[in-house]
Amino acid sequence: MRQSWWKVLCVLLLMYAVAGGILLPVPRLDIVNETIRNLYFHVPMWFGMILLFLISCVYAVRFLSSGNLKHDLYASEFINVGLLFSILGMVTGMEWAQFTWGSAWSNDPKQLGTAMAMLIYFAYLVLRGGIKDEEKRARISAVYNIFAFAMMIPLIWVLPRMVDSLHPGNGGNPGFGAYDLDSSMRLVFYPAVIGWFLLGLWMTTLRIRLRIIQFDEYNDYPDRLKNETNV
Amino acid sequence: MRQMYKRTYLTALLLMTFPLFLRAQGQGTEMADLMRSNGKIYVVVLVLATIFAGIIAFLVHLDCAIKKIERNKKS
Amino acid sequence: MSLIPLLTLVRKDLLLEWRQKHTLFGVLLYVGATVFVVYIMNGQPEAKVWNALFWVIQLFVAVNAVAKSFLQESQERTRYYFTLVSPVNFLAAKMIYSIVLLLLMSMVSLFLFSLLLGMPLEQTGLFVLIASLGSLSLSVVFTFLSAIAARAQQNAALMAVLGFPLVTPMLMMLGNLSQKAISPVYQPGWWGVAGTLLLLDGLVILLGIILFPFLWKE
Repeated sequence: MRQSWWKVLCVLLLMYAVAGGILLPVPRLDIVNETIRNLYFHVPMWFGMILLFLISCVYAVRFLSSGNLKHDLYASEFINVGLLFSILGMVTGMEWAQFTWGSAWSNDPKQLGTAMAMLIYFAYLVLRGGIKDEEKRARISAVYNIFAFAMMIPLIWVLPRMVDSLHPGNGGNPGFGAYDLDSSMRLVFYPAVIGWFLLGLWMTTLRIRLRIIQFDEYNDYPDRLKNETNV
Repeated sequence: MRQMYKRTYLTALLLMTFPLFLRAQGQGTEMADLMRSNGKIYVVVLVLATIFAGIIAFLVHLDCAIKKIERNKKS
Repeated sequence: MSLIPLLTLVRKDLLLEWRQKHTLFGVLLYVGATVFVVYIMNGQPEAKVWNALFWVIQLFVAVNAVAKSFLQESQERTRYYFTLVSPVNFLAAKMIYSIVLLLLMSMVSLFLFSLLLGMPLEQTGLFVLIASLGSLSLSVVFTFLSAIAARAQQNAALMAVLGFPLVTPMLMMLGNLSQKAISPVYQPGWWGVAGTLLLLDGLVILLGIILFPFLWKE
């Protein structure tokens, strides 16, 4: 968690993604025009979110088997950053849609599905906020975490595929013809996904380190952190 | 001075003939290399700015939290 | 999973419900009020609106009916059950009770709907089947969530908050399915949607069985 090599890799990948994303050639398509470059920035937000939620679920399972509260801390911080990524993904998606599909919200199945996924995890935060006892909170939120993740996967993957959608790759749509990426885009897309995910990982580890300091402080000096509600 | 004005004028005139070469494009899909002012590249700029703003907000929040702890530790 | 403790628990819950009829009166209230108000203001609605109304009512009935399943047990009594039965038995009993209850309630609401708002359906039998599938799905999801809510805060509102994002896609699928019963339009993906819904229900039951023991221990 405190090593630098993957952080350096993250920065290099992101610099490549941004520079290459703007400058390298992309396929010429009607309606989307240059905005197809958003593929390198909007889509990795969602990939990052899913990966972060997956890691959080893994830590929830580890907590239930070990009882170590630090695992619960890890799980909740991964969800926090995952939710940030999902908000960014949703906002950027709406911005993109405003100028290509005509309106920011069009009740597209993928938009609805991901909005539901966000609501599921916001409900996780509500659940956590309501329980005061640490051990109980950790156990109940771990159970909900696993349940929510297992339910979210079919909802995001299966549902949009069954229904016609504006999103590229589903049904008939303006934009890409088929969802096989042009090989020139793959060159920037895959590194971009890895880079954005590593950034999310970095952000999460920073939050975890902060929480560990607060956690230790709380155990050493309980009076000082009386006002901290979310240790 | 006059020579410089004349040269500038001629260069501008030459540059203005560029659009005549665009016939080679074919179906006329607009891209940024043809016209810088095509609105749609700015959507990409907007998306990048949004993501950047989100990350900066996160960093600011983190910074405040660390500052609070350091202040607590000092007292 | 032994049968006798399971059946005893289900019987106990059903008896309690029969004696007090909380859920029945709740359903009569919701459905009756909705049907009456809609009829007075709008007359008999056309098929699509009828469908949407029905599923909204189903949602509220489900929340009302299932909320009580775990939340009516006080802490002390839950601890007593803890010494008597295995967690899987307990959860299975609650789920079966919820399914049975919700099936009955959806038949009641269907009947009340047909009284005032008519029944603009092409295939009534198919719709009854879909309504039953809906009851199964909703009750199974809400039972597990009420278990979580009961452990967390003893609060029915929490169960609704947790349930809403999970249940909304299910309702969309159910509304989609019932389109077939309403209008005789050929829908190529119908069995796919129905199969997905059944698989989701199976997934919820499986997850409940695996995860409930962790909620069970104090």
